[in-house]
Amino acid sequence: MLEPLLAAAAYLGQGVNLAYLALGVFVGIAFGSIPGLGGATAIALLLPLTFGMEADQAIILMGGIMGAVSIGGSVSAILLNTPGTAPNAATCIDGYPLTRQGKAGLAIGAAATSSSIGGVLSLAILVLVLPVAKQIVLLFGPPAFFMLAVLGLTSLTVAGRNMLRGLVAACFGLVVGFVGYDDIGGTTRYTGGIDFLWDGVSIVPLLIGLFAIAEMLNLYAAGGPISARDEAGEVRVVGTGEGIRAVFRNPRTLVSGSAIGTLIGMIPGVGGTVASFLSYSFAAQTSRDNENFGSGDIRGVIAPEAANNAKDGGALIPTLAFGIPGSAEMAIFLGVLVLHGIDPGPMLLIEREATIFMLILALLAATLISGSLVLFTARYLAKIAHVDSMLLIPAVITVSLVGAYALHNTLGDVVVAVFFGVLGFVMIRADYPRITLVIAFVLSGLMERNFNLSMTMFEGDWTGFFTNRTSLILFLLTLVALAVPAVQRLRARRNAS
Amino acid sequence: MTWRQQGRRLCRWLLLLLPLAGCAPGEDDGTISFDNETVTIVIPYRPGGGFDRAVRAFAPYYARELGTDVNILPENLPGAGGRRAATKVYRARPDGTTLGIFNLPGFVLPEILGEPVDYDLRELSWIGRIESQRYVLLAAATSDIRTLDDVRALPEVTFLSTGYGSSVLAAMQIMAEELGLADPDPIYLTGYPGTADVLVGLVRGDGNLSITPVSTALKYVESGDLRAIAIAGGDSNIEGVPTFAELGYPGLMALDVQRSLAGPPAMEPGLLEFMRAAFMRAVTDPEFEAMAARARLELAPLDGAATAAAVSGHYTFYEAFKTNLTNPNAR
Repeated sequence: MLEPLLAAAAYLGQGVNLAYLALGVFVGIAFGSIPGLGGATAIALLLPLTFGMEADQAIILMGGIMGAVSIGGSVSAILLNTPGTAPNAATCIDGYPLTRQGKAGLAIGAAATSSSIGGVLSLAILVLVLPVAKQIVLLFGPPAFFMLAVLGLTSLTVAGRNMLRGLVAACFGLVVGFVGYDDIGGTTRYTGGIDFLWDGVSIVPLLIGLFAIAEMLNLYAAGGPISARDEAGEVRVVGTGEGIRAVFRNPRTLVSGSAIGTLIGMIPGVGGTVASFLSYSFAAQTSRDNENFGSGDIRGVIAPEAANNAKDGGALIPTLAFGIPGSAEMAIFLGVLVLHGIDPGPMLLIEREATIFMLILALLAATLISGSLVLFTARYLAKIAHVDSMLLIPAVITVSLVGAYALHNTLGDVVVAVFFGVLGFVMIRADYPRITLVIAFVLSGLMERNFNLSMTMFEGDWTGFFTNRTSLILFLLTLVALAVPAVQRLRARRNAS
Repeated sequence: MTWRQQGRRLCRWLLLLLPLAGCAPGEDDGTISFDNETVTIVIPYRPGGGFDRAVRAFAPYYARELGTDVNILPENLPGAGGRRAATKVYRARPDGTTLGIFNLPGFVLPEILGEPVDYDLRELSWIGRIESQRYVLLAAATSDIRTLDDVRALPEVTFLSTGYGSSVLAAMQIMAEELGLADPDPIYLTGYPGTADVLVGLVRGDGNLSITPVSTALKYVESGDLRAIAIAGGDSNIEGVPTFAELGYPGLMALDVQRSLAGPPAMEPGLLEFMRAAFMRAVTDPEFEAMAARARLELAPLDGAATAAAVSGHYTFYEAFKTNLTNPNAR
């Protein structure tokens, strides 16, 4: 194992290859921080550039992008409550309240550090589990996927402050997720005869609306900048160092976030959004003194950011071993590999060990470089939060709507973004959790498809969910997630008495 | 400046721009040229899939054959199961600057299944076929299924497939009909998001059989996870695996998925011939063939006229099995 690793490191260290890596990191941060663009667009745009490169150089360039995208996305999530990429949405929950309290530096410091360490930990886990990667992937069949979706929805709903409002938001998210062509029943649902809705609502315009546009509407209603200036009227950005230290003071949150991210990343088709939300709700449920989650607890930034970068390491397993992309970026990355004559599949892990190490090293380097870049520039970036809303609102709304349009070059996505912008604003005002809506939306397809597949497999006998081992374990975890708040309440009552 | 003066100025600008309109492609002296033009190839799916890969690999070679400094722009336009892209190409100006890559029989099936579409594939100006991926019947390597006789002797057949309306499911239903797997009716486990997911499901043991395009399946056969039972087409390209025809089922020879290039209906004959000739030169370019081999494209070049005939053939073939192609899981 050591020989191919050293060879890959030596290759990566060559000048031209380092330049490709730097280019990837730069593009990754830029595209990650602008809502609607994201890593998939960046990879698709740079794909023609790789035609003249060696395969390993193309991998380095793409690794640079993939390693940097999520860190770029966390900056806009924290500062503007606008997740640059879908998996960054969980970071908004506590990141943005910290910005409003004037602690943007703290949040960015913690996000960049936990992202970097999460990425490193996940790659370490990946190297360890590579020999049994195939078996892990094969553990998850349709019943297990269904139960995983149930676990995700349950843990997020009970983690919120008001369970009833959480349930309403979750149900609405499921309904939105069911819009479009149902390829099992062979019918269209809730499309109103509009062709555009045939493929359902896309996650990117939905997120742009619910977060970026809704937040700008809310800011317009409130007036003034996102984060107030101090008494002397000065813009002061402090706390980056404190953010770094906060990560090391919460090793449990960091490690559990990384582990959840890697594990969820390994399961094909689940994706980073679920990973970061599950990691967040796990931290919110199991941490001591958790009453500040949702209103600016730094652990609420550390957990999803660690998971967010860790999932990339995990997602390499289904992508490389089975050719099943774990995310949109991975889907296009697969295309890049194939165009360069590298065929993802069961033989890849055995035949092209050096290629895999090259990718792992590129991801590792990109994670560390982009994390450091964000840390060094945090004090300047955070000043965005002090810009007057009359300047900020038109700029953010313009970028958001262009981002929504750029996704598929269709005005329909702009309409979706505006619709969810208004809905998001109403939800902010009425105190309904937007995040729960998003996670239910993300999980709806996974849940429905695998429920139908499972019921066909069991020939209509639902007890099959409890005879499948993986599914049963996930069901028991769901029960635990349901019991945790009750146990915590009991414990608090006992302590009070 | 008065309104009248402003109006005159605008008219002058418009007159200056007039020669630019309608200049694509150039036809000086009756010779057709795409020099310095941009040609868009619409891809009906998101980036990263087989269709996207075929276009992006082919584009530089086709651009070279179309003229000097021709820019071919791959445009991913997913939506409505590919209908959005097909409709865009169908309605585009027939000047050769908008082409599309088409999934056959994927785009034929909606019409056969009686779903409303805004295009007629038979009216398109077919430029040529890039790929033809034959279907292969697969079972898990750990199973006892080795031959078609084993398949026919199974007490219960569970096919794994992508969703209703997909060509994979249609191929399975046609095969079940031809092999006489009607007692009991096979179970169709449909709804896997992609063919790679189907194959992993088969390795895992979700069901016992599946059919997928050969390039996707080959790596699982080579790794020893899956076993190929029979393959469509005239001759086998997997060692030791017979074709359906050799096993006495010539009706299954035609099961494949093709990737062909077409422009809007009513392209001017001279222009169409020019684009077809450039296509054939590009698709048989040894450099492109080497690239295609690396990218595992199953090249099966066909000229425009033959491609148009193949499209009609798809209609005839699938029309014959129309009654077998209903949704197996409709409630």
